[in-house]
Amino acid sequence: MKFSFSKLVRGYIIPYGLQASALASTAILISPIVWMVSTSLKKESEVFDRPPVWIPSEISFDSYFRIMNSFVANILYNSILVALLAAIIATVIGAMTAYALSRFAIPGKSTIMLFFLSSLAFPIPLLMMSMYILLMKMGLLDTLLSMIIGHTVITLPITVWLMKNFIDQIPKEIEEAAYVEGASFLRIIFFIVFPLSMPALTASALFVFVTSWNELFFGLSFISSPDLRTVPVGISQSFLQEFKTDWTGMMSLAVIVTIPIGIIFVFLQKSFLRGMIAGSVKG
Amino acid sequence: MYSLKQNKLLLLGLCLPATLIVAIFIIFPIANGVYMSFTDASPLRPTSKFVGFENYRYLFADDVYWQVLGNTIFIIGFATILAMLISVCLALLLNNTIRFSGLYRSLIFQTWVVPWIVIAILWGWIFNTDYGLVNGTLAQYGLIESQIDWLFNGKYAQWAIILCFAWRSIPFLMVIMLAALQGVPGEVLDAAEVDGAKYWQKTFKVTLPLIQNISLAAALMQAVRMFQEMTLPFVLTEGGPMNATMVLSMYSYNLAFDSWDFALAATVGSLWLVMLVLFGAIYLKTVVREM
Repeated sequence: MKFSFSKLVRGYIIPYGLQASALASTAILISPIVWMVSTSLKKESEVFDRPPVWIPSEISFDSYFRIMNSFVANILYNSILVALLAAIIATVIGAMTAYALSRFAIPGKSTIMLFFLSSLAFPIPLLMMSMYILLMKMGLLDTLLSMIIGHTVITLPITVWLMKNFIDQIPKEIEEAAYVEGASFLRIIFFIVFPLSMPALTASALFVFVTSWNELFFGLSFISSPDLRTVPVGISQSFLQEFKTDWTGMMSLAVIVTIPIGIIFVFLQKSFLRGMIAGSVKG
Repeated sequence: MYSLKQNKLLLLGLCLPATLIVAIFIIFPIANGVYMSFTDASPLRPTSKFVGFENYRYLFADDVYWQVLGNTIFIIGFATILAMLISVCLALLLNNTIRFSGLYRSLIFQTWVVPWIVIAILWGWIFNTDYGLVNGTLAQYGLIESQIDWLFNGKYAQWAIILCFAWRSIPFLMVIMLAALQGVPGEVLDAAEVDGAKYWQKTFKVTLPLIQNISLAAALMQAVRMFQEMTLPFVLTEGGPMNATMVLSMYSYNLAFDSWDFALAATVGSLWLVMLVLFGAIYLKTVVREM
């Protein structure tokens, strides 16, 4: 067989080169996460080793047991409650509005959509000040509800935006057929349109959940009781002072508070990306 | 006949919750915020009085405000450019038929769900002066002689934040660009190939121009979101050293909820709003018109 340089390049160098660069760039991008997990599993003695050790010589879960106490359980519980309720409220209200915007003849529709899109960029501290005054007058400061309201407000625009772009692509004929069969409007919306919009509903609920899980500043300024703190507030207000140089403990906590959201995400990723892309690219 | 359009009651019912929320918690706060910027409002004072442009005059004469504005633009500008360059390359790379490319995509996208507070602690550990991964690795390969104080030197701290913002923006940008790449019609690329275009020519002359608008829109959206992001500087560097990593959102937040100076914080917010409107106008004029 004759040796061919271009065959070598096409058959081996390019495919393997692409594979190697894809592997390398993925490895670099996820390396901070790997380092976090690796540190959390190390024994105290190995943490400060130089040069850095990526794979612990002995896996140890000591630091997980050390930091897992009622404080951590409490901030996780508060965060899950706030994020879940905010996700449900923002998604349902957003979907209802999106349906109206998609199917009804509303004057100034494109202006409304533009407002929703741009409100994503509004200065949050500016919103927070008046919200603080309002919540104070309503007597809602220092309640989990104040955070649920805050997180719903900052995510509602994107849920409307995502849902509207998705519902626009659902053919109206399905609803018309159901109407002819005698289904009521509410039945059509909740039992036909929403089930068909599952990817977009998932995407927006997940988006709200992630935003809420992340959000530090509403919790920081609206909440004063230590036992109402969510994960970011609890970590920044108590944990960081207490565990200042306990790096394995800190990384264990970092892993623990990432896990809930990571698990949800692994299961919903496909659906999430579908909804997200349909909502943003085609929009 | 499907007479949805006549059903006023249904329309009202569907829109009422969102309208109320938006009116009470978005429109009123924005309007009230702009109003507060012309007063000396503070929750520590029972009443406030109108002071005209006093807050604006004070802010424009304040060196810290200009420094913070400069920092914010510098940090977000470089982070966005860096993230865009890396995301384009990644998207082009993973758009090839590579084994495991689905796995790579989802691994990279996983980083998007890591909470900011976790990133802040993690970054503090990675950039730790004595025991951090960055100094450790650089020293291992003999690239540095002594430990670098990443988080206690203004310039380095800014770059630590820039790297983090870029790293965090990549998953989203990459996913959007991959979706855009999949939307590039195969016939166009085939036609280019028939005309004798090489891979790089196809990429630069056909593919990239076709995904340019979506990519720009995504980059802009990401930049605007980063504008609001303050957990990282707040927890990691507390805006320091010497305000080097103080970003506009955190500056305004501190004015409001640390100094309880709602008026001045509202002034910063109102100026931010003005910038946003200008930005939006330019965006609509250039990007959207071309679409």
